[in-house]
Amino acid sequence: MNKPLLTIGVLLALSVPLAAQAGPKEDFNDLYAKAQSTHKDAGTFQWTVTSDRLEAAKTAAADGDYEKAEAMANEALKLAEESVAQRKKQQEAWRNVAIGN
Amino acid sequence: MLKAKVILVAIGVALAVPQAQAGSTPEEDRKETVEYFKQMFPDVAIEEFVNGQYALDEDRRSQWESMQDFPPYEFAVAEGQEMFETPFANGKTYASCFENGGIGVRQNYPYFDTEKNEVITLELAINRCREANGEEPLGWKKGAIASISAYMASTSQGKPISIKVPDDPDALAAYQDGKEFYYSRRGQLNFSCASCHVQNPGKWIRADLLSPTIGQPANFPVHRSKWGELGTLHRRFAGCNNNVRAEPLPAQSEEYRNLEYFLTYMSNGLPVVGPATRP
Ligand code: HEC
Repeated sequence: MNKPLLTIGVLLALSVPLAAQAGPKEDFNDLYAKAQSTHKDAGTFQWTVTSDRLEAAKTAAADGDYEKAEAMANEALKLAEESVAQRKKQQEAWRNVAIGN
Repeated sequence: MLKAKVILVAIGVALAVPQAQAGSTPEEDRKETVEYFKQMFPDVAIEEFVNGQYALDEDRRSQWESMQDFPPYEFAVAEGQEMFETPFANGKTYASCFENGGIGVRQNYPYFDTEKNEVITLELAINRCREANGEEPLGWKKGAIASISAYMASTSQGKPISIKVPDDPDALAAYQDGKEFYYSRRGQLNFSCASCHVQNPGKWIRADLLSPTIGQPANFPVHRSKWGELGTLHRRFAGCNNNVRAEPLPAQSEEYRNLEYFLTYMSNGLPVVGPATRP
């Protein structure tokens, strides 16, 4: 096998896994954006644990550890969704426990 | 950590609060709240609630009383007085911004400003005074602002807290907003301020004895041994939010000011006792 062909072969082999998916960085960015905007939707009901996970996700992504970054962003998204649900529930629920209403 | 959470969750389900009719006025809320705590602590005089946890536990109280001969905030109060009396670059002093020159007025804060349509806390008034006189604002939670606020509180010792909700829809909305904040569950642990301070005062969370709503802001700013210095009420709000894993809001945010408005209204008639010490 001559050298140029080998190079093309290697390049092709390398590009297959990259072409099959959007790429870990893009996947992460989408997930992170979703987690962040859900966290924002919680308004004054944000949870510290969500902020912590978002921070950890960002740090891991900056280090190129997309596996960890994605795991953290996933956790952040779940927590953020719970905090949004809490916010919605409390809009009415607080009245049931308030003294004087 | 896990143990703490289990204790918190157990406390959260204790005691339900009696439900009241809708649309009550601030004064009806306050009276009902006082009545609620009188029934919960029939042996404690209502004025005693300004001493927070010390009103509820003999041992803690006697330890605390022995500390009062040399209170750790004394130096900060003296420093606060000096800053209060030192003229700004333009020659004016803080006194020019306050009714009665700022002496003996703590009990009227926070108030609702019907022109600006917002709650004005004492710390906000201090920083607005600085800015109006061309000075940089101070940090909100500790340091100089806490010392000045402590000095001003010390000139109001014993005066009955006198918060007014004027007949104004915006003022009432601010009060209601604070009330909603106090009773809304927040954070991963799903606790409201009321879960601890209405439903469980007198009970222990780890090493802490929970104080009741009534009287809570009367002793601020406060010197906590945990902080090793004076801190403002909003610093405490942030700490209590954080403890249930709720993201604290900025000191002097509209939410915290409204919360302070509601909370201080609940203490109307009780004496100003700030500054004070707490664990
Ligand atoms: C998980 C229980 C818990 C929750 C929820 C909680 N706190 Fe506290 N809070 C404490 C403990 C413990 C202390 C220290 C003991 C004491 O003084 O009650 C404290 C102290 C305070 C104090 C100081 C009382 C004093 O005498 O100096 C204030 C004011 C206060 N809390 C307000 C709030 C507000 C407002 C909220 C809601 C935003 C809140 N707390 C939510 C546990 C809680």
